[in-house]
Amino acid sequence: MKRLLATAVAATLAFGVPALTTAADEEINVVMFGMPYTNGLQKLAGDFEAETGIKANIDVIGQDVFENRITLSFTGATGDIDVVHTPVIQVQRWVAANWLKPITAEVDAMAVKSDIMAGPLDAYVINGEQWAVPYMAATGLMTYRKDILEEAGVDVPDTWEDMLSVAAKIHNDETAAIAMRAVPGQGFNMFIFPMVMRAYGGKFFEDYTGGDLTPAINSPETLEALNVYMKLLNEYGPQGAGNFNFAEVNAAAQNGQIAFALEGTGVVAQIVDPAKSKFADKTGIALPPAGPAGRSPAIAVHGLGIPASAKNPELSARFIEWAVSTETMTKIALSESFSNFTTGPVAQNPEVIEKYSKVHPDFLTMQADALNLAIGHYRPLLPDWPALGQAIGENINAALNGLVSPEEALEGAEQDMKDILGM
Amino acid sequence: MSSNSKQRAGATYELERGYRRMIVPAIIAVAIFAIVPLAGMLALSFSDYHLIRGSNGEFGLRNFIKLVNDKRLVNSIYVMSVLSLFGVAAQVIIGTAVAVGLHKIVGRWRLGRVLFLVPYAVPHVAVALIWLSLFTPTLSPINAFFDLFGITVPSFLTSQNGAMFAIIVADTWTNFPFTMLIILAALQGISPDLDEAAALDGASRVKTFIFITLPLLLPALLMVTLFRFIDSLKHFPMIFVMTKGGPGRSTQATNFYAYVQTFQNSNVAYGAAIAVLLFLMAALISFYVAKLNQRISS
Repeated sequence: MKRLLATAVAATLAFGVPALTTAADEEINVVMFGMPYTNGLQKLAGDFEAETGIKANIDVIGQDVFENRITLSFTGATGDIDVVHTPVIQVQRWVAANWLKPITAEVDAMAVKSDIMAGPLDAYVINGEQWAVPYMAATGLMTYRKDILEEAGVDVPDTWEDMLSVAAKIHNDETAAIAMRAVPGQGFNMFIFPMVMRAYGGKFFEDYTGGDLTPAINSPETLEALNVYMKLLNEYGPQGAGNFNFAEVNAAAQNGQIAFALEGTGVVAQIVDPAKSKFADKTGIALPPAGPAGRSPAIAVHGLGIPASAKNPELSARFIEWAVSTETMTKIALSESFSNFTTGPVAQNPEVIEKYSKVHPDFLTMQADALNLAIGHYRPLLPDWPALGQAIGENINAALNGLVSPEEALEGAEQDMKDILGM
Repeated sequence: MSSNSKQRAGATYELERGYRRMIVPAIIAVAIFAIVPLAGMLALSFSDYHLIRGSNGEFGLRNFIKLVNDKRLVNSIYVMSVLSLFGVAAQVIIGTAVAVGLHKIVGRWRLGRVLFLVPYAVPHVAVALIWLSLFTPTLSPINAFFDLFGITVPSFLTSQNGAMFAIIVADTWTNFPFTMLIILAALQGISPDLDEAAALDGASRVKTFIFITLPLLLPALLMVTLFRFIDSLKHFPMIFVMTKGGPGRSTQATNFYAYVQTFQNSNVAYGAAIAVLLFLMAALISFYVAKLNQRISS
């Protein structure tokens, strides 16, 4: 019996001691998903500790598992996360579920606030409160192989129609014409497909800005866009394109297996980086093709927020202020492929300008042009968007891989939207 | 009763009481880590709790009635059944074949057994990433090799049957060593005298295996099939990494569908109802196979 008690006491101490240690030290846990900025930030955790005496445990995980990890933490209100990666596309849902702490006062008190670009900062204002601070605004760009287009005697396609005719001319067994994300998911095919859909005048709702949220994806415009997307990937894409995600698109471009890629700026920066891609010097950058309704580059703002269950929000706010400061951002912009920063003065740093001009002379200008063209609600900013995006993405992917017709896919997507919204 | 036998009975009683006490921590652990979450899941499945919209406090059979008419659930059960039946069959056949082969190996070559255990030690997410690369035509060395001879290997991950085949291959690669280990242990428990007697009677090796070894392996085969089958109902990492449930929704097994409802659609109560259904299916299969095992053993 004594041994049993001793074991129980030892076990209690074994579980209890780390908790006591954590409470006594100034230590915070940061959870983010992998991208150039977050990887760079993780490497600078020591700088934060040296400056403030606060130890930051920065956990950078895959995007796939990130949502599950934070959902479990937030629903359980475990308080084990002090600062969380907050994509703008999720923030409405998190605020509706009371998972985030409003940080208006904390942000107002930050000296860096006036340096942060107003658009991305406003993207995190809901019901008059600030819920996160942005660190990057990614957009969508197209990369093309200059040598292949020159050899074929064709210009860079300006519209999706042009793209169809160019793709037909350059596609062959060695080098496919184009690759885009196809795997289902609101952050996967539904980050890319709306660039085609909106160019053809397709929309998710009857009148999103006017407040009419009747699903309207099953329209002739979206059908035309879907047919273009499908034709490009099925007839002019690499083998297996129907299951490609950004990693496969990136690898295919870097290995010279495709002529065109339509991707987020984070991936585009890697495709044109001579340190990473064998074909970087032969690769050009352009805006995504336009359609009858114009050009609609993707936009994705990412920021840092404080969970409602965070135990020491003051330390969390200090970390966020440091993480988005001009100094930290500049360090990351110089060490990683990170050009879509939202702290303005970084863009004026001569070393940063020199670095990205060397990577590609057009990169920073194209990125700025694309961001100017992008609409804030490229993907609807609704609490239900993750569910809607997943359902629409599954239907689009089913059509792409021949499981259903494009008409059936859009009909299914609209019905799924109604079901999710309870209509 | 003599004083000696009284002493022995008293000692046996004390020993049994000691054993019973030792079980108490295990019972408490099971209660905390299995029964409490299970009860929570059951309560959730009767509720209307939604991650975003919260709850109106309604309790009832609403979610279970919805299950009956859910076509996506029917599809998910079909996917789960195909993945489990073919996957477990492949794992048991390959595991048994490798175990029989390794059983006869002697000397230092016995260390070769460790090689076959490597896939079992690799985390499932890593296994899925390896096979995702191998089944992605632009990344796969297999495709590159056949391309040299002008042969185009089909793209597996863009059709339902192909994607299910790819998941089964990945699942089999990582899980057959478990079957192999159990069967190898069972083979070592069979007396070599039986083989020798059969050989003296002129039985061939194949006949000896079919009529003597295999019947003796049956309880172990049943047990390992049951373990693998129940585990296979929880299909998730391979699907999550390799197909994301696609193409379309064609590889969304029931466990993955519960994840979609819970985490993507925020419909926690409905996700819990699917999980309860999955639990009942696993319990029913376990009960039936346990009965069968008992009958065969007796």
